Amino acid sequence: MSSRQRVQQWATFARQWHIFDCKWQNPYESAIAIVKHLKGLHKPIYHPMNDCGDHVICINTKEIALPGNEWTKRAYFHHTGYPGGASWTLAWELHSKDPVMIMKKAIYRRLGNNLQRRYTMQRLHLFPDDNVPKELIENVTSQIRQLRVVPQRIDHIEKDVIDNYPKIMDYPTDYLPKTLK
Amino acid sequence: MVFLTAVNLIRSRGPDEWWRKRKIFKLAAYFYGRRRNCYSLAIRSVHRALVYATKSRQERKSDLAELWKQRITAGAAQHGIEYWQFMDGLHKNNIEINKKNLADLAAWEPASFESLAKISKDFVEKNRNK
Repeated sequence: MSSRQRVQQWATFARQWHIFDCKWQNPYESAIAIVKHLKGLHKPIYHPMNDCGDHVICINTKEIALPGNEWTKRAYFHHTGYPGGASWTLAWELHSKDPVMIMKKAIYRRLGNNLQRRYTMQRLHLFPDDNVPKELIENVTSQIRQLRVVPQRIDHIEKDVIDNYPKIMDYPTDYLPKTLK
Repeated sequence: MVFLTAVNLIRSRGPDEWWRKRKIFKLAAYFYGRRRNCYSLAIRSVHRALVYATKSRQERKSDLAELWKQRITAGAAQHGIEYWQFMDGLHKNNIEINKKNLADLAAWEPASFESLAKISKDFVEKNRNK
């Protein structure tokens, strides 16, 4: 094996580091994209017994968005193993206790039930905000595209941009806008 | 009294017992524990193993097809095209390469695979609004 081929081999099987911004993303849909990179399904050398998965850093898991009424209706089950040890935690409760857990469970579930799952999870790094340790963030070479466009909030737009925005009419002075409930 | 009919042959099975069992023990040579050396256990495991072997001969074909599909999907995604678009584009351009060789090209001949992906992408672009 020439030195060039040897380096090519290293480069092929080297672990890459990806970053994924969870802000305003559905965790259950994002898990599909993240699991693809964790398992190495995006590489043409993939094989179930080939250890070619990559590392993924998920940031801003505190700002995930659940669809519909799932914050109040989705329950996470846990059992301590003792009689009467079952407990159901609602999604909003779990998220307030640990802002990383919903994303983690979504990915863990999507990985499927096999012996490799816990080792694959070790390559996943979750952070509630964008404070990632320097020794992790300096490895990152690629970004996983977000599945949904993050909308811009009107209270984050600067005031002079809103004031100078073209409009077709002014509200009458005695008009009371309907308040949001 | 001597019976000369086939009734006598009912209990005498096949060749010598030692050779008959030896055939089974050779198939059971790689089993674990007593299943390797006790005939009554070995014969059960050998029968089960042969059933598995027969089934797997069919399953191997579909398993490999699934793996090739996964690898082609990965290769096509690197060039921004989906699996079905890629395969459809090749088919419509009369490029008849099977999945096994496409998967090999994706891993070992990335430049050739890129050219194939380009053909499919051009085909998709051309037929976008038809």
